[in-house]
Amino acid sequence: MKVISKQDFNDFITTLINDGSLDVHGVKAKDEKFVFGELESSDDLRLDYDTTILPPKKYFMPQYETLMKCSLKSPFDIKEKKPQKPLVLIGVHPYDIIAINQMDAYYCNDDVSKSYLDRRKNTILIGSDVLNIHDKAFFGSMNTGQVENGYDLFLTDLDDKVVIEIKSKKGEDLLNKAAMVREASDVEKQKVTAIRTAAQGRAKRGMKIEPKQWYSLLDQNYTSKVWKDQSDKCLACGTCTLVCPTCFCYDVNDEIDLKGNSKRVRTWDGCLLRQFSEVAGGEVFREDIKDRYRHRFFRKGKYLPDRLGFTACVGCGRCSTQCIPDIADPVKVMNLVFDNSETFIQDEDKQPKSISLDAIEIDEDEATPLHHPFPATITKIEDLTEREKLFEIELDSGEKLGHEPGQFVEVSIMGVGEAPISIASPPKRKRFDLVIRNVGEVTNKLHEMKKGDKVGIRGPFGTGFDVDQYKGRDLLFIAAGLGLPPLRSLIAHVLDKDNRKDYGKVTILHGCKEPCEVLFDSEIGKWQEIENVNVLRTVDRCPEGECWDGDIGLITKLIPKSNFDQKNTFCMIIGPPVVYPFCIQILLDLSVPEERIIVSLERRMKCGVGKCGHCQINNLYVCKDGPVFNYKDIKDLPEAFE
Amino acid sequence: MKPKIAFFDFASCEGCQLQVANLEESVIDVAEVVDVVEFREVMTNKAESYDIAFIEGSITRPIDEKRLKAIRKKTKTLVALGTCAHLGGVQRLSNQWSAKENLKEVYPDAKEKDINKNEFFEKPHHKAVDEVVKVDYVIPGCPIDRTEFIKVLVALIHGKKPPIPDYPVCVECKKKENICLFTIGKFCMGPIARAGCGAICPSHGSECEACRGYISHPHERAQIDVLEDCGLSADEIMHRKTMFTYKYVEKEKEESK
Ligand code: SF4
Ligand code: SF4
Ligand code: SF4
Ligand code: FES
Repeated sequence: MKVISKQDFNDFITTLINDGSLDVHGVKAKDEKFVFGELESSDDLRLDYDTTILPPKKYFMPQYETLMKCSLKSPFDIKEKKPQKPLVLIGVHPYDIIAINQMDAYYCNDDVSKSYLDRRKNTILIGSDVLNIHDKAFFGSMNTGQVENGYDLFLTDLDDKVVIEIKSKKGEDLLNKAAMVREASDVEKQKVTAIRTAAQGRAKRGMKIEPKQWYSLLDQNYTSKVWKDQSDKCLACGTCTLVCPTCFCYDVNDEIDLKGNSKRVRTWDGCLLRQFSEVAGGEVFREDIKDRYRHRFFRKGKYLPDRLGFTACVGCGRCSTQCIPDIADPVKVMNLVFDNSETFIQDEDKQPKSISLDAIEIDEDEATPLHHPFPATITKIEDLTEREKLFEIELDSGEKLGHEPGQFVEVSIMGVGEAPISIASPPKRKRFDLVIRNVGEVTNKLHEMKKGDKVGIRGPFGTGFDVDQYKGRDLLFIAAGLGLPPLRSLIAHVLDKDNRKDYGKVTILHGCKEPCEVLFDSEIGKWQEIENVNVLRTVDRCPEGECWDGDIGLITKLIPKSNFDQKNTFCMIIGPPVVYPFCIQILLDLSVPEERIIVSLERRMKCGVGKCGHCQINNLYVCKDGPVFNYKDIKDLPEAFE
Repeated sequence: MKPKIAFFDFASCEGCQLQVANLEESVIDVAEVVDVVEFREVMTNKAESYDIAFIEGSITRPIDEKRLKAIRKKTKTLVALGTCAHLGGVQRLSNQWSAKENLKEVYPDAKEKDINKNEFFEKPHHKAVDEVVKVDYVIPGCPIDRTEFIKVLVALIHGKKPPIPDYPVCVECKKKENICLFTIGKFCMGPIARAGCGAICPSHGSECEACRGYISHPHERAQIDVLEDCGLSADEIMHRKTMFTYKYVEKEKEESK
């Protein structure tokens, strides 16, 4: 540890500010409160602050971030961002550094976000001990008053001098710009320890449970009356997520200007807002405010711990301060849940592994711009019905898409946006098919396009059908309405002459509202001719003047008629949300084992890589863990079949 | 062919049209992409049909309804411009009282017989544009925001749905890192008011009065609870609920009948 006099410290800050090659930001006053912002002089810096209105996450994931730019005339001539000056960020409290470490784990997990990593690596982070504790802070209860890593330098302001801990080479190099630095004495070191222990001990606010106990407490209280009672007062304003250092969800939209330039922009989003879970067709998967309100706590206390091993609350108290009806405060709410929980058993197996994270060591090559699409060409368009068209697409790179049956892609039209679309063709072919109904902006635009036009493609994404697992078995396909295209990717694979011998009897049930909505009529006819394949079809009604030779009635009625071998069959269901509970119940009644029922679910899929948060069903990400799920794995998730 | 756009004003202060007339440097770019065929504020031309008609003002008298319906027939797309067109404007508050009472209030010295004679005074009842004809899109706000106007115009030209947010003003306010007015003893309709203004009022320390209307699914009961908890009287709360959004109150009254 080093020590520098206050005067020399101020000179050091001034040197940094005057050094034109750096952006120097730190904590400064905004009226009676504090914010992180650009420092214009060393006097601006307020290390005596209690907390800032927004957390420093705004530097790594800005409120409004242009991901890419292009002209609509040449949409794939994507302009890369210019590198920015290195950022020196001064005065970050330990709990906020821990939140940044959590953010590192989140954005640099699996698919590494390049824009995030670039910003993070471009920052020299200077921490600071908490000298004044905000009256709503409870980092003492969350064990986040001290931090081990994730910063470059760390400051403890001792009035007439500042103690500085050097954590990294980057930090050391920066400190070399300061004139007079000496080693800290034992007394000075003891003072630092005393400040830390005091802060950690004071900022508790009477939280009745340990951070690692959130998991079991929530696990046992999904149906607690607290969720409804509290959310009755909720404004659904989104504040609690926006101000939180550990809420990372975002939205992506395209903007066009008068000159015909387009930008793809990422903005903060939050699960308390209604449209967060709204899909293009207008369905809102968390319509009830209670569900949104509860989701926030479960994401922090159960879902993220499940996935990444930490409780995603650092006790900063920002939500506790800024929620107007005062119902977002984790101390109050977790205590309420605890008090209302009849029994509470700490399940030792179910808790976060650790809450201190290792500093990120990520190879820059692993990071990709997660939202950049690849150019592709529409090679064929076929009208299927009045509302659906089939698009055959080839990547301009000439490569195969390389998908599994059941996966999806994000189709993108610059200036309009992206839409998640299931792949409707088997993996074997070089080109792939998408069946698109015109229900949203992107899909409407697609319907106006012609053969030869270009679209952007990202993907394939998600977990598809496990074709090896079904080998040697019979297969029953239940396709309702638009469920047929994604199932077609598997049916065509299974019925391919190279693969046919791997599977037993194939039964295909297809249902839709009216005969005019039938998809792939002639293809179904061909399937029917293949040996050991049985196709049954139904429509809800057949208006006068149309002809129909299948059944009339709901698809559920076909299941008992289909005569499949309950003991040896995998059953795949895809259709609109309403069909799942009914079809699944019939299969269970016929004693089909749970693990042989396979479904594919629809949610709002924006990023496709488990980052934006929109597609979550309780702890699962439909875009990664799904869209194809084994019924057994999701049957107990309350949000799966609502 | 550039799309033909036209502007029409009804009962309003013309402030929204003024925002458009004052687009400054963007005006030239706008002229590049559209043909302005009618715009009383800046020109005298008339046209037979339009691609986009922007309607400003509330609809007050039977003759206004007639005129508006004629415009609707001549335009492909109709956009309500500003709060008066969107919700009926502040003038809608006068719907609470009879025509006579309103006139007495405004012209206390007028003679009864003059009032009865004047056709402008025949039973004024303020309506939003969508209570008379089909409205395709709304640009909310009192006045409208110029950047938002451009965004909507560009979207329409490109066949996109105009990007009017359906989240509350608090979202924009938080992103700007403002100090919430509730924490300094003021009150605000931001939690249920529709964003898109960049939280301009709270950013300048003024309470949001929901001039852009509410979001599509406001949790209004919770907002009123908050105001009550802050010690506001029923009258004060009613004032905040009616300033620009009396349309919703009228609707509530109708529904409870
Ligand atoms: S809990 Fe509070 S801050 Fe969060 S959305 Fe509800 S009212 Fe807003
Ligand atoms: S939940 Fe609240 S207290 Fe916890 S980290 Fe987020 S804003 Fe801070
Ligand atoms: S000042 Fe108004 S808009 Fe801003 S956060 Fe507070 S309530 Fe919301
Ligand atoms: S997390 Fe973004 S789509 Fe799943």
